[in-house]
Amino acid sequence: MICYKCGEEALDAVKCPACGADLSIFRTVKSLSNVYYNVGLEQAGVRNLSGAVVSLKNSLKLNKYNIEARNLLGLVYCEMGEVVSALSEWVISRSYQPEENVASRYLDTIQQNRGYLDSVNQTIKKFNLALHYCRQDSRDLAVIQLKKVLSQNPKLVKGYQLLALLYLQEGKLEQAKKTLRGAGKIDTDNTTTLRYLKEVNARLKEKSPSKKPKDDDLISYQSGNETIIMPKRFKESSIGSSLLYIVLGLVVGTAVTAFLIVPNIRNKAKEEASKQVLEASDTIVTNNQTIKELEGQIEDLEGQLKDEKDNNVKVKEQISSYETLLKAYVSYHENDITAAGAALDKVRTKYLSADAKAIFQGIDEEVQGQYLDALYEEGYSDYQKGHYEDAIKNLKKVFKEQEDYNEGSAAYYLAQSYRHNGDLKSAKPYYQYVIDNYPNTQRALTAQNYVNAQE
Amino acid sequence: MINFEKELKNFKPSPEVEDAESVIQNHDLTDVTDIITEVLREVRENAGR
Repeated sequence: MICYKCGEEALDAVKCPACGADLSIFRTVKSLSNVYYNVGLEQAGVRNLSGAVVSLKNSLKLNKYNIEARNLLGLVYCEMGEVVSALSEWVISRSYQPEENVASRYLDTIQQNRGYLDSVNQTIKKFNLALHYCRQDSRDLAVIQLKKVLSQNPKLVKGYQLLALLYLQEGKLEQAKKTLRGAGKIDTDNTTTLRYLKEVNARLKEKSPSKKPKDDDLISYQSGNETIIMPKRFKESSIGSSLLYIVLGLVVGTAVTAFLIVPNIRNKAKEEASKQVLEASDTIVTNNQTIKELEGQIEDLEGQLKDEKDNNVKVKEQISSYETLLKAYVSYHENDITAAGAALDKVRTKYLSADAKAIFQGIDEEVQGQYLDALYEEGYSDYQKGHYEDAIKNLKKVFKEQEDYNEGSAAYYLAQSYRHNGDLKSAKPYYQYVIDNYPNTQRALTAQNYVNAQE
Repeated sequence: MINFEKELKNFKPSPEVEDAESVIQNHDLTDVTDIITEVLREVRENAGR
């Protein structure tokens, strides 16, 4: 605080430290300025911006050096869309206190964002133009301009108010109401906004009065903070009627369930079951088809297996025949005629190739005669030794190869071996052969005697 | 009932950015302390006579 008498800095002293002048009144004024500032701050906090402007202006009227009040006033102006007013307050604030002043930061922010300042300037110009249109009675143009302004600067409270006034004048009450609500969101307790809103509501009420007829059947009264509305004739239901209603309700419910709900559920269940049966049938048919195909495949495979087995047997027989032929060949070269002949007997010539057959025949021709001789000698030797079974075996082979071998000797001694072995029945055909083929011989007579004895 | 013309008079044009300098220069910065100082000065002058 500057002393009014000597111009020296007195800070908050009651008396000037330099000249002793009484500064109490100035302290009081400064305190009052701070009170107004506090009120303005509180109002700004609840968005009562127009109220905050009044309080802060009062604060500054008392003490123009109240920097906080001036900075806050600039902020409130900015929030109301009055950017130039805000700038002027901050510039003045900075001139009073260049150091440690938040106004410097606000001004720097605005200056750095040049585009914002230009945009706001344009909206201010359009608002002034709209106001000019209003005064010239060109309300339609004014409305168009104001709509543009508010779309670009949605914080301009007086833009909303002027537009609402135009709507009011044109009778567009709902639009006026909506516009005023927009203003109310920025500046809650603005007197102009509230006044216009009251006018709109009054006109709306006049336009569509309440259509509800007076309901004589209702009674309403206040109970504390609540309004109670109840019918005049309020009957309490008797227990009997309540029970009756309950029973009726149960009956109706049961009937609905029985005749509507249950059949529907049953039908759905049936449909579902039928669908599943169909699906199952399809599956069975498909599976049967698959089974048939697989059975067919099995048959084919079995046939192939049989063929392979037969082929295998044939191959084995072939191998066996060749092995036997080889054994016969080896035995022949080792002069083991008996072994060679035995081997040749086992050879199945049908499995031999043409060349192998030729070899077989060559060996057979060489061996056969000697083989038979050897067999006969062995068989006869066995007969004489009493080894009738061995004799039968060998002599039978000889007989099979050559029935008339040694003029029927093989047949005769074969029969004799059978007879000595106790098998007259098997001996008979061989006796008969001798009888038939070599009659009038001693052997034939002997044979005939044995045949007669058997008969 | 709101009178349109009367209400319209309440609306003043907003200062534009170009007008900021003149707004600041024309800003009335007289406060109560200035008035009191002036009053006290006049009283002193009168007392001096």
